[in-house]
This record gives sequence, C-alpha cells and structure tokens, in this order.
Amino acid sequence: MSDMLCPRCSRANAIVDYQGWQDDTVVWTIFRCITCCFSWRDSEPASTIGVGARSADFAVDAANLDRYPKILQQVGK
Amino acid sequence: MNDLADRARGISSLRDFLELLKDAGQAITWSDRVMPEPDLRNIAVAASRDASGAPAIIFDNIAGYPGKRTVVGVHGSWDNIALLLGRPKGTTIRELFFEIAGRWGDAEAQISFVPEEQAPVHECRVESGINLYDILPVYRINEYDGGFYLGKASVASRDPEDPDNFGKQNVGIYRLQLQGPDCFSLMTIPSHDMGRQIMAAERTGLPLKIAVMLGNHPGLAVFAATPIGYEESEYSYASAMMGAPIRLTKSGNGVDILADSEIVIEAEMQLGERVLEGPFGEFPGSYSGVRKAPLFKVTAVSHRRDPIFENIYIGRGWTEHDTLIGLHTSAPIYAQLRKDFPEVTAVNALYQHGLTGIISVKNRMAGFAKTVALRALSTPHGVMYLKNLIMVDADVDPFDLNQVMWALSTRTRADDIIVLPNMPAVPIDPSAVVPGKGHRLIIDATSYLRPDPIGEAHLVNPPTGLEIDALSKAIRVLQQGVAQ
Ligand SMILES: [Zn+2]
Repeated sequence: MSDMLCPRCSRANAIVDYQGWQDDTVVWTIFRCITCCFSWRDSEPASTIGVGARSADFAVDAANLDRYPKILQQVGK
Repeated sequence: MNDLADRARGISSLRDFLELLKDAGQAITWSDRVMPEPDLRNIAVAASRDASGAPAIIFDNIAGYPGKRTVVGVHGSWDNIALLLGRPKGTTIRELFFEIAGRWGDAEAQISFVPEEQAPVHECRVESGINLYDILPVYRINEYDGGFYLGKASVASRDPEDPDNFGKQNVGIYRLQLQGPDCFSLMTIPSHDMGRQIMAAERTGLPLKIAVMLGNHPGLAVFAATPIGYEESEYSYASAMMGAPIRLTKSGNGVDILADSEIVIEAEMQLGERVLEGPFGEFPGSYSGVRKAPLFKVTAVSHRRDPIFENIYIGRGWTEHDTLIGLHTSAPIYAQLRKDFPEVTAVNALYQHGLTGIISVKNRMAGFAKTVALRALSTPHGVMYLKNLIMVDADVDPFDLNQVMWALSTRTRADDIIVLPNMPAVPIDPSAVVPGKGHRLIIDATSYLRPDPIGEAHLVNPPTGLEIDALSKAIRVLQQGVAQ
C-alpha cells in the first residue's frame, strides 16, 4: 500500500501495479485505487491525475459506492 | 486491381496487413520518443482528422515501455478500408459500400485449423507471474477514462451451456479495463452474446472461459463487430465476407482463436464478482457512466515474438471507430430494406453508429420515403440506433454530404418532418433525457409526387453516373501528374 491519494475518490488505498523502466531508471509508476478501481500513471497530465485539477464531474463518491449500478443483474437477485 | 484483390485475400494477420499498408504508403512508424499520455492520444486524434487518407501509426519508442510496439489507426481511414477490401486508394465511400453490400451470401467460409504447436500466436507463452503491463503498452485513451483500456479486443468464448457447439461460440468486440496486473473487467449488455453467456454462467454456476485476441486479422474487427444471428459463427461470417481463408487454433483454455493474432489473453470469469468500471469515452463522443461490471482473471497469455499491441482511438468523431464499423453498419440495413423495398438505392449509417442515417430511395408514390423510414426503424439496428433519418432521392448520393445538404436545402418542406416521441433508444446517446428512451426524427428530403403539390420549379439534372465518375478520376490523375 502506498500513501498516494487517489485522484478520483481521494482515498489513500492505492497499490503499485507496475513501473516503467528505461536505462536503469523508473520512468513512471502505475497505481490502482482499491476503493474505486481507478488506475493511473504518475506521469499523466494534471487534468487527469492532479487532485484539484481534475474535473469534479468525474469524481467517484467512495462513501456511497452503492449508487453505481451493477450490470447483468440476475432477475430476482 | 486484381493484384490488389489477390493480395487482400492473402492477408492472414495484422502483420501481413501492415506490410500491405506500408507498401501503399498507408502505415508509418513513429520512432520519436512519446509519453504514453497524452502523446499517443494526441497523435491518434490528429491522424483521425483525415478520414479519407490517414495511415496506421506504429509507435516503437514509448517512454517506459522499451522494446514494445503499439499501433493505432489500422482501420482509421477509407483508404485503409479500401486496401483491406482489395480496392485501390481513392475508392469512394459509395463504392466501398457497394463492395461490402455485394459480398452478402457471395462466398463460402474457408476455415482451417492449425495445430497449437504450429500456431504463431503460441510462439511465446506466459502461465505464471502474469503481469499484463509487462506485455501490453497500454495508455489512457481519453483523459477521464477510469483506467487503461483495451479498446480493440476481439473476445472469443464458448456458450457455457453448450460448449461443444462451434456456431454458438461468440466473437465480439467488448471494451476491457485493466483491473490490476492479471485481471480485467468487461463491459456488455444483456442482449449481446457475451452478456447472455455471462448471465447463463452465473445462473448455472458453470465456468465461463474466454480468449481475448489482440492484433488480429483486420477482417475480423470489420465483420465480427456487428451482431449477427446467435448461432452463426463470426469466424465463418468474416471468412465469407473477406472471401479469404481464416486460420484457427485452440487457446490453452479450449477456445477457438485466430492462429495468427499478435496476443491472446486467456481468462475466466469470477462468478458473481463485480468491480467499478468506467467511465470510458464512447463512440457518441461522450463518456459512459461508472458501473459495476464482471471481473475476469487471467490464466495465461500467448503472444508472437515482439508482439504488436493494437489499439484504437475512440471518442468524439471522426475517429477510427467510425471507419471501422460504419460500412458494416450501413450494409445490413440496406439489405434488409431492399427485401421489401427495392426502390432503396443506398444507406449511409456512418455517423455515430447510425444515430443519424441517410437513405436514398425512389418514391414509389407520394409519401413513400416516410414508409421506408418507418421500416428502417424496425430493422435490428434501427430499433435502438437510427435516431435521425434523412430521406433523399435515389439520385442523391447519401455518402456525399454536399448532395445531402442540397436535398435538405431544396426538397424539405418543414411540415414534412415526423417526430416519433418516446421510442426506445441506445442508452449512451448523450442527448437522452431518460437514457434508453428518446424521440426519433424523420426528415423527408425527397422530391414530391402527386397528389402532393409539386410547385413550379423544374430541377436541373446534371450528368451523373459511371461516365462522370470516370471523368472525375481522370481529372485527379491529370492533377497528380502536374504535381510531380
Ligand atoms: Zn479511488
């Protein structure tokens, strides 16, 4: 677990999935938020990963994940 | 021209097609170093400004992905589609439309099976320590996508309740979002074949094993993207439409796959599990919402040596998605209408998967075009997608928007439009007030017949037809000669 804040849901539940290397140097790191399933690369533009710079329209409400509908729900379940 | 047709029929893989495209000046290699974001997106968007001539672009110097390659725009222009169909660059959209419409029921499927140990797709095999990021140079396609997507994956699966039935295997294009190193989510709807199979697996508790094919024979994406009958094999159909053989082999988990694909990811659905999926920038040029979608766990990956990861830019049109599916969206509507109404001369459903369609028809009687429009709304694709229909005369080319605008300007009487309220609609139409429902619009821009009032003006009938088409090409040839 890293202490990275998720740019989408603001929780600190991110793990590292991968690091891109070149010439013995880490060029970027891919994180994934366990709470909201957002994946991002730390080299992306602020409009995508900058907390505050991202459009609030695309935030995920971590306190209310029930609001996101489940697809292919079996009838009666 | 026959050489082109022979060469197109000889394609058995993405690599073959990229060679063909390179020889025709329709594939380029971008060797300057690029960042995965935003460079790949920016370059793909810039390329799709040229819907007629954009090349496929192979990236071989992506920061953090040394030695890996990705390609976009394989189906990104009409010239690339023409070459795939064995026609020369510069073939008109109308000609390409009739090329596809004319192939219906024309040829037999030619399917052959290659032993697994001889199949190029199995050259390299990863069965443990799987990390998809090791193999796939993924990037965020649109800036607010929920993650890294495989936007051009053909997914093959067997019916969990009838796994030995070749015809009931499904091959379809579904969007896949990586959910960690060895998992992904798959988005579908209940009416799609994959949706049915997922629901059947969860109802019965039977396993659902799938094979995700990336970097495929370019005919598969064109002809397997549009729904056909459930019991019809997409492989057979694609082979027949290409008029060319297709080589299959088995994946490690027992699914029939293309023997010459670049990469195949084998995976099993995690019954009952859902993870947050989306948003994803979709073909209407709007983002899908966030949903809880089924999760698949990767069990193995096969790939060719130095595989090429094929992806697509999709979003606000014009994009590769439009050239990829446009003609094969239009041709079935045309064939279905012609069964009852031979007066229909062409169908253009290129725009946003047919959210706007343009149909050319010779009026049998006054008002007839509106009857044809209503029939179009009840075709399989029309039920959900054909939102705005523009009906034009038989001598107006619906693929030439200059001609369509002439018809709208001079043939439309504003009291001659129909609005059908509260009809079913594709839920991702961003104009929806209530997703899944909406209004349909029919604009009759055809000429008038008695007993309609015809008016006093007589139309100019400029020369048209093959002779003018040939003259127009001759002018282009002369012009190119001058330029050299
Ligand atoms: Zn999050």
